[in-house]
Amino acid sequence: MCDIIWCKKCDTVNYLDPYCFWNWEGKIKCAECGEVYYIHMIMGHMYKGPEPRPGEQPDILPLYADKPYDGYTNFPPGTEGKTRPYNCTPRHIYLGRADQRKFSIRNRPMRAWPQPPSAGIAGSQGFYWDIKKLSPEVWEEYQEKIKRGEVRDW
Amino acid sequence: MADPREVRLEDLPGPKSREELEDMKAPYEEYCRKIFDVGNEFIKPGALEGIRWLSCTMYIFTPHSVANLGELGAEIIKVEFPRVADPMRHTSPFNECYFYPLHDTRPKSGTGIGVLNANVNEYYISLDYHRKEAQEVLYKLVKMSDGLTECYRPGTFDKWKQSYRYLQEINPRFIYVWGGGFGYGPKAFGGSYDILGQAHAGLASITGFHEDFGGHPVKHSNWCIDWYSGTQITVAVLAALYWRRKTGLGTMIEFSQVQAATRCLGYGVPLYGRFGVVRQRWGNWDTMLCVHGIIICGKSDYPDEKNPQLRNEARYVMVSAFNDPDFKELCSVIKRMDLYEKYKTHNERVRAEAQVEIYREIEKWAADKSRSEVVRILTEAGILAMPVKNDKEVYESEHFRQRGTVRWMDDPMLGDVIAQSTYSTGLFSETPRRKFWDFRPVGADNIKIYHELLGYPISTIQEWYEKGII
Repeated sequence: MCDIIWCKKCDTVNYLDPYCFWNWEGKIKCAECGEVYYIHMIMGHMYKGPEPRPGEQPDILPLYADKPYDGYTNFPPGTEGKTRPYNCTPRHIYLGRADQRKFSIRNRPMRAWPQPPSAGIAGSQGFYWDIKKLSPEVWEEYQEKIKRGEVRDW
Repeated sequence: MADPREVRLEDLPGPKSREELEDMKAPYEEYCRKIFDVGNEFIKPGALEGIRWLSCTMYIFTPHSVANLGELGAEIIKVEFPRVADPMRHTSPFNECYFYPLHDTRPKSGTGIGVLNANVNEYYISLDYHRKEAQEVLYKLVKMSDGLTECYRPGTFDKWKQSYRYLQEINPRFIYVWGGGFGYGPKAFGGSYDILGQAHAGLASITGFHEDFGGHPVKHSNWCIDWYSGTQITVAVLAALYWRRKTGLGTMIEFSQVQAATRCLGYGVPLYGRFGVVRQRWGNWDTMLCVHGIIICGKSDYPDEKNPQLRNEARYVMVSAFNDPDFKELCSVIKRMDLYEKYKTHNERVRAEAQVEIYREIEKWAADKSRSEVVRILTEAGILAMPVKNDKEVYESEHFRQRGTVRWMDDPMLGDVIAQSTYSTGLFSETPRRKFWDFRPVGADNIKIYHELLGYPISTIQEWYEKGII
């Protein structure tokens, strides 16, 4: 359940997510036309508002907005200047391309980079990946890390 | 034969030597440290050594049921489809990292982090059951194994002539587990996922905040029903093994994932049966105890962190003060003795309206405090309070480190990885659980199993490989 501000100026529905607006008083900007509305919510119910306050500064943006009479036009969470930033958005390194790391967070080597296409008869793989022999460049980098004191026990 | 009238020292209770006497005098803490000997699990035997199990499983639910056996010492052979493999390998949160190529024919398509912990200590072979040539191989494996777990749609293994009724003919001691979505019945062909199980079994409807608080039914962020029902299958397998010791006969275990979640409904079903009351979700508060829930504090413990999960989320505290003296103390801490006067008895406090008021007042008090401040103040007042920890804090927890619950291991394939899985499920003094390795590439043990165990020549294995049978 969440309350909404239906902006009659531009026919946009601005969604007020319950976690943020459960007990809240302040001004919200319409995602489409920028009209500012004052609301006061108590325990999830609209106690006052929404009242248009043209020209005033908004306190917060809605979480999400859409235009129901206009097909699939919407403003997803995190649209800059329109909706609130969505902090759960994956960091850029998580979007689309594998991040092949060589070292764990305590700086010891991990096997997380590509191996040669063929690794034995009928798809059988060697059991132990000997970093020193099979990835000498990673081994050297590891030695450097040890020298710099970056390798930790925990 | 010993004289039954003779009382021998060995038969009497109590210490038998000076060393044993010293052992018994040791404080309990020290005694536990010694017998569990965390970190040295590998020098002890595994409880299920000698058991060989086949795993024709995918995703988390059924793989986890077999991994439990592997962690307890059984020898597990995981059978995957050639090249394609367990689809769980394709998962990886946000494409975060690929630990290892799926197969040597698909070097760019990796095994993701999502698969970790579900197929521990297993040998990995590939086999295409559809093919006639594959059947003899599977039957040979069945003859020398104790059981098999599969998770295909009902009747699939039967169609391929490898269900319980066929395998029982080959090996009457064979234990066969089918773990799937709905089991037989009206929805026999329905597949399942953890989230579907939570929804179908009614668990999701009682998870999350009440609608009056803006809540919706929610599922757990992790696949807790997958892990839970996997464990339930392991319990069933152990019982079947015990039954087989007594009778010499195998068993078929049919396990529906959606039914497993109904067990978590607790008193909900009898409550309806007796009074017609439908249990509702109630969020972070308890319907039977007050105060006994999670509150939100105003400030984060990590206000300057870059990571939003730390910066914004580290502000929840679990508080428990449901008996009268504790509640009185809590009211005194938050300077609202009028609340205590208003709700002096637990029966008054536990009512919905009272809970709304009480938690709101506690949260008001915590609005200008950080999570650690709230925990400190409440703990000093003798009230039970615990921060809602995140993964980083679990990783850093001294308690878990000392008990070995979370630990680093040098995986033979993956290198440096942190493990909690098997070490989080209880300590054994004589036959501890352990983790040798996490997962292996597709077909990594084809030679070991087909050549060394079953005795097929390498040339045949090569031929199968070229034909795509393995």
